[in-house]
Formats: sequence, C-alpha cells, structure tokens
Amino acid sequence: MTAIATQQINYLNVKKGIWSWIFTLDHKRIGLLYLYSISTFFLVGVILGVLMRLELFNPGRDIMEAKTYNQVFTLHGVIMIFLFIIPSIPAAFGNFFLPIMLGTDDVSLPRLNLLSWWLYVIGALFALSTLVFGGGPADTGWTFYAPYSVKTGTNVSMSVMAAFVLGFSSILTGLNFIVTIHRLRTPGMTFNKMPLFAWALYATSWIQVLATPIIGITLLMIVVERVFGIGLFDPSMGGDPILYQHLFWIYSHPAVYIMALPAMGVVSEIIPTFSQRTIFGYKPIAYSSMAIAFVGYFVWGHHMFTSGMSGSAAIIFSILTFLVAIPTAIKVFNWLATLYKGSIDIKVPLLFALAFIFNFLIGGLTGLVVGALAVDVHVHDTYFVVGHFHYVMFGGTGFAFFGALHYWFPKIWGKMYNMTRAYVAFGLLFVGFNILYFPMLILGVMGMPRRYYDYLPQFHTLNQISTIGSWILVVGLLLMIYNLIAGYRKGPKAAGNPWHGITLEWQTDSPPPLHNFDKMPELPEGGPYNYPNAKSE
Amino acid sequence: MKNQHSIEESHSEHITSYREHFGTWVGLILLTLMTVFISVFGADLRTITVATALFIASVKALVVAYYFMHLKYDPRIYRVLITIVMSLFTVFLIMVILDYLTR
Repeated sequence: MTAIATQQINYLNVKKGIWSWIFTLDHKRIGLLYLYSISTFFLVGVILGVLMRLELFNPGRDIMEAKTYNQVFTLHGVIMIFLFIIPSIPAAFGNFFLPIMLGTDDVSLPRLNLLSWWLYVIGALFALSTLVFGGGPADTGWTFYAPYSVKTGTNVSMSVMAAFVLGFSSILTGLNFIVTIHRLRTPGMTFNKMPLFAWALYATSWIQVLATPIIGITLLMIVVERVFGIGLFDPSMGGDPILYQHLFWIYSHPAVYIMALPAMGVVSEIIPTFSQRTIFGYKPIAYSSMAIAFVGYFVWGHHMFTSGMSGSAAIIFSILTFLVAIPTAIKVFNWLATLYKGSIDIKVPLLFALAFIFNFLIGGLTGLVVGALAVDVHVHDTYFVVGHFHYVMFGGTGFAFFGALHYWFPKIWGKMYNMTRAYVAFGLLFVGFNILYFPMLILGVMGMPRRYYDYLPQFHTLNQISTIGSWILVVGLLLMIYNLIAGYRKGPKAAGNPWHGITLEWQTDSPPPLHNFDKMPELPEGGPYNYPNAKSE
Repeated sequence: MKNQHSIEESHSEHITSYREHFGTWVGLILLTLMTVFISVFGADLRTITVATALFIASVKALVVAYYFMHLKYDPRIYRVLITIVMSLFTVFLIMVILDYLTR
C-alpha cells in the first residue's frame, strides 16, 4: 500500500498551495508557471488582434480612434513578441522537458530559473502598467523606432523598460540551458545523441545570451534620450535614427530565430514519433540549428532596405539573408524524408507539425520575396510584410506551440484530451489562420500600407475576408482551450507513453515524479530516434 | 543523480600585488586620457576617431577583464569564449560602419 502511494506522488501533488508554486525550484513547475503566464498573455494579445481586425472590417472609424488603434497594435506586438513568442516554447516546454530529455533531475541553476520567471512577471507588469500610467500605452509599434519613440507623449519609457527586464529573463533562461546541456547530460548521452529539441534549445540559448544584451542597451538609450535629451537617435539633436534601427535589428532579427528554432525542435520531435521512424538526417538537422543561429546574426539589415541604409550594405545583407534559407530548407527536406515510408499515425500533434511546415514554407518563401532588394522596395511596410511574419510567427511558432501542447499534454498532466474535438479545433485553427493572413499577402502586393486604421475602398473585400478568418480562428482557439481544460479536469488517465516515443521523457511516469526518474533512464541504442521498426530497415 | 561538476576545483586563491593593481589602474587612466585627447583634438578625423576610440575602449575592457577580473588565472575556455564574443561584436561594428562609410 505504501509502495503504491509512493508511486503516485508526482511533481503536481507533492506539495500544495500557491507558495509551493510561485517559489518552487522544480523545473517542471517553473515550466508550468511560464506556460500559464504565457498563455494568459497570448489570449490578451489575441483579443487586441481581434479588436484590430474588427476596426479594419470597414474603411474609416469602426470601433476605435486612430491613436487608439496605434496603441492597440503596439501593445499587441509587444505582448505577442516579448511576452508570448520569445519565451513560449523555450521557457515553458524547454524548462519542463529539457532536463527530462537529458535524463537529469533539474536544470543546472534552479534558483536562477525561478528568478527568470519572476523577472518575466515583473516585465509583464511593467508592460501592463502603461495601460494606466503615463500617457497610455506606446503608439510607436513594437519596434520603438526613433525619433518618434523619443518624442511621442505616450508611455514609451515604461514599455521599453518592460522589454529590458524581459530581456534579462530571456538571457538567464538561455544561460541556464547552455550550462544544463553542457554539464547535466545523462552518462552516455554525447552531443550527437541528444534529442533534436535539446539541440534547438542549445542554438536558441546562444542567441539569447549573445544578442539580447544589445537590445537592452539600445532600449536604455531610448530612455536616456527621452529623459535627458541626449541626441543619440534624434536627428534634430545630432543623432542618427538609422543607428537605432541597426542596433534594434542586431538583436531583433536573431530574435526571430529565438522564436523559430525551438518550434523547429518541437517538429523534429513530433515527426519521428508519429512516423515511428528514425529521423532522416539527424546531424544536418542538429547542425543546421547552429548554422541558422550563426548566420542569423548577420542579416539584420534586411529590415532596413528602404530606411536610407547604403546600397552596398543592402546588397551584402540581401545575400546573407538568402543564405539563411539553406539550413532552413535542409530541415524541411529532412522532415519530409522522415515521413517517407514511415508508419504514419495522423494524430493531432502531427497535424500541427505538418501545419507548421505548410505555414512556415509560405512564411519562408514570402521572406525571400522581402529579402530581395528590388521587390522589397514595393512591399516594404505593406500588409505583405504583416502577412509574411504572421505566417512565420503564428503559422510557424504558434502552431508548433499548439503541437507541443498536444504532444506533451499527457506527459505533463497524466491525462488525455478528447481527440475528436482536438481534430475539429485543429481544422478551425488551420482554416481560420489561412483565411485571416493569406489576404494580407494580396493586400500588400496591392499596396495597402500597414499600421493604418483606415484604407481605400479597393481593399474592403479582402479586409472583410481577413476579419472573418479571425473569427474562425478564435472559435478554433476557444474549442482547443476548452478541450485541453476539459481533458485536464475530466479526461481519462493517459498511458505513460501514449505515442510510443523513445526519447527519455517517455520512459518516466505521467505526470513525472518530483526528480523526474525513479530509476536511471536507459538511452535507446543507436541514437535518440532509433525506432524498433527502423532497425529492421 | 545530478552529475555535479565542482567548478571550484579549478579555482584557487590568487594574491595579486599592489604594484600590479596600481599599474593596471594607471594604464586605464592613461588610456582614458588618450580617448579624451583624440576626441578633442582629432574630431575632424571622423571615422578614424571613432575607430580609435573603439579600439582604446576595447583594450581597456580587456585589461579590466584580464587583471581586475582575474581572466589571466582562469581556464583557457574563458579566454576562448571572450574571443568569440569580441569577434562577434567586431563583426557587428564592421557591418554597421560599412553602412556609414558607403552611404
């Protein structure tokens, strides 16, 4: 009887009460704290996005004034970028699963891990405080471009301080993961035997550690310029606004890979599991993560082709931008090759992974369009760019986040959701997403500029289609959330390994015990994805 | 289970002489004076002034890291990491300056 009771103790029920959560040092609980916080802010961002789409349903004023619209899209961007996408997969699923997948009991620096979450909460409060303090939320766009961000009466200082604090949270998480991967892999797990999700987090962490400080100091420079009137970026005081753009994008373009690489890691886990087949090209996928992280540092100038940057610099940045497509394509081809001749089981996590590939391909290929100098002149700052980055960020990372949620749900909570409802929710999300964002690509090519609350009559129909897409997307989102919450509360108990995965997280109980493994996990022979049927090939 | 590595093993007590500390401090002051001198009297040199100021600032940072922060006593991996970061930083600067020079 005692033995049975001992087995049932897991990280969820080992301690009770709010304090046992908000001051926990357990990586799994910290992962869940992130998951709940991030999901909350994601929903806030969604509400703001839907409000924007409602405003754009008809030309002219519908539900808000122009200035309010500017503040809404800025807050939408700040929340979605800094509070959702950047921390989403690494901070939530990375925290939860990295140590388990490495076969260890926690991250290397658990207190630093908790500090990261607290910094995240403080940064989030800073961002939300702009709703009530100062001149209201910033109206600059999430990029805080100078000199407008130096001059506007809205509360830019607090918004950039929020991003500054959130940056520290991101750095500390990255640092923790790097140390954990180097020091705490289970005996026998060499770098080339690590799961690809760990590789993706490793590449991501280096970007977080090396690039984030640059945005920190740049945003502080904005505050210094606003408070002390030092002419760093404002040309009327001798500053250079293009210098701001350089400094901003030196971080913010690599940040795109902070958002995308963990998503690619999730896809690299889901596809072999639901194909029951060895991943095709383990090393190319692993090393291409590092290649993307490395090359991604040197392409920031492609955000500035029309800003007044020199033509020579623009050509160099354009060439480098095209280079990033190579490691990305390597991943896509390897994922598709993994599916080939696999024992494919089309469950919802796999559908999200396939949707990731579909959406990310559209996002990536439209990225090549805006990366080409001549075309970018025409589509820069149009809805084409809005469509492009939503395909990458939401269609890519967002869908991978949902995929990870469905894939690891039974492991995290030990319950299973309703699969039929999950299929329907996926369908609504996928269809709604594409109806919402594909018209934006067309609108951009037609010449509709971004960041305006009004538009010309010829853009009316496509804007209405886009807004209807947002409604379908929201229905899908609500159904998915309902299904997952219902699964958590009333769902049947999940098996320890419902998908027949062979990475280490599937060797432990669902939910995992406090220290992750009751006995030492065994590494699969022949690598982390050497499925039984693959051996006979 | 935790494969703890005792990083303290690689650390030992270092006694640094006042002479070395003072010499480092004097060196930093001289480099600061040099920066001021170049910015005041070499302002018309534009890019070269900026490049020189950046070079001096980098030397000062390395001196602080090497002597005051005891990098000279640390394992080689620390120096390798600092070299990587400084190289990355240098490439950032070169690419930004490239834009300014060709604009």
